[in-house]
Amino acid sequence: MGPLIKLILLNVITYLILKFVVPNIPGSAPLPASLMFLYLLLVTAGFLILATVSAESKEEFWGPIQRFLTGESIGGLQALRYLVLILFPLLVGWQTYNSTAVSDAPPGENRTIHPAPPGEYAGLSNPVPKTPDTIQQGKGFYAAFCSPCHGGNFDGKGSAARGFNPPPANFADPTTIAMLQESYLFWRIKKGGVGLPIEGMPWKSAMPRWELELPDEWIWKIIMGEYDGAHQSPRTWE
Amino acid sequence: MIRGLSRIVSNVVVAACLAIGFLIVQPAGAEEKPKASAPAEEETQASSSVSAPLVKGTLPADDPTAAVWSSAPMATFPMSPQVHWPTRNLEATVKDMIVRGLHDGTNVAILLEYADPTEDPDDAAAIQFMVGDKKAHFAHGQPMAQVEGGPVNIWYWKNKDGKGVDMNAKGFGTLKIQDHQDVKAKGAYANGRWKVVFSRPLDTGHPEEDTQITTAGFINIGFAAWDGKKDPSSGELKEKGSQKAVSSWWYFRAEAPPDYTGYYYAAIAVVLALGFQFVLIRKLKKGQSA
Repeated sequence: MGPLIKLILLNVITYLILKFVVPNIPGSAPLPASLMFLYLLLVTAGFLILATVSAESKEEFWGPIQRFLTGESIGGLQALRYLVLILFPLLVGWQTYNSTAVSDAPPGENRTIHPAPPGEYAGLSNPVPKTPDTIQQGKGFYAAFCSPCHGGNFDGKGSAARGFNPPPANFADPTTIAMLQESYLFWRIKKGGVGLPIEGMPWKSAMPRWELELPDEWIWKIIMGEYDGAHQSPRTWE
Repeated sequence: MIRGLSRIVSNVVVAACLAIGFLIVQPAGAEEKPKASAPAEEETQASSSVSAPLVKGTLPADDPTAAVWSSAPMATFPMSPQVHWPTRNLEATVKDMIVRGLHDGTNVAILLEYADPTEDPDDAAAIQFMVGDKKAHFAHGQPMAQVEGGPVNIWYWKNKDGKGVDMNAKGFGTLKIQDHQDVKAKGAYANGRWKVVFSRPLDTGHPEEDTQITTAGFINIGFAAWDGKKDPSSGELKEKGSQKAVSSWWYFRAEAPPDYTGYYYAAIAVVLALGFQFVLIRKLKKGQSA
């Protein structure tokens, strides 16, 4: 087997491993194309160093390339040579053109979903006693004020939810209220979307500022109704 | 020995040239292209931006049914009833807003299209933008507790008035009609659908009040629609004021004129690659004769 074939084979095998084997290793992820290219370049560079350490190995490696590119009377390969010499610059040009094409994608957004609440809300505890009665009242308030967006099933799929980005929170999802304390919900309901800090992108949130419409006691009851209805428990520090 | 060494050196040089050649070829291919984002299941039809191409002929600034609109890419945005502020409504007629944009380098025209079962004198539609660099809340630029917000610029059209109105707001209840009116609007109703075209100069010379549209990048845009149907018994309008269908903030951009620099760079790359081939073959030929 000629060294050139070896180099090509080595690159193909490396590529296949990087593309199909590495992502399947537990804890791994698909490699970005730029990283894969870097690995293939290293393989090629290493191979070239090995292939050129002695005059013999150098001749073995370069000889066929040299003959293909400059040799006389190589028969049918002559046409292939011209094809390569024409295609290579065209490929370079095409790739360059592609890399300068302007991106059509709007700016990416990195919104923090649960930013830190203002200090005065940390550690507040629900002053309303938790009884079947108060929970039921909370569910009633929830149905009236919250369910149009957050959904009768606490899943964020209320009839008014469709146009909003970010979408209303899904309380049944274990990464929402189950990760938060009651005091956090109290802050978010009271101050609404416009109360978020800048990393929460308050200008995008439709959440009303309920302190203007509901007494605190109702908000605390809504929080109890929400946890109960969504089958979640508030996060505690125990 | 020295001869051998010089050969190695020359080989390394050739190898380096090859590697550079590779580098010229590859980075483009290796770069991650932003993939056409696969729409999430629940929002199969949602877009995130409106891209307004440059038209060669006349801008259909007052013609919502012009044929040239079909050349503009279509973006669809889901709508919700306005719930952020009382008086809210929990159901709105307009469920989706289809938006197209065009510009001619001087003026921009934006076409809104939506389903509304009845044509009523009080049917209305609006487009909203942020003004300047400050972020503005999507509900009329409502004040935000921890962020200093800016105003919004609202382009408003109502069927019975048949014109565009250029306004500003910084919170509900602060809507103000501008002294200088730059916006034109015209609606056409057919087959249960409204088509409303808004137009304005890209640059109005009033950056404090009007959003200035350049071809440089994306700006924020939002939409609203009112179903002006009257309740047959009470005579009350179904939707008015803050009772309306609204969208969230999305993106808009006026596309830059075609940019040919990509072709120049490609041509330079082709010349470099040809030069590389020429040098390589010369070097190989010399090697042979030596």
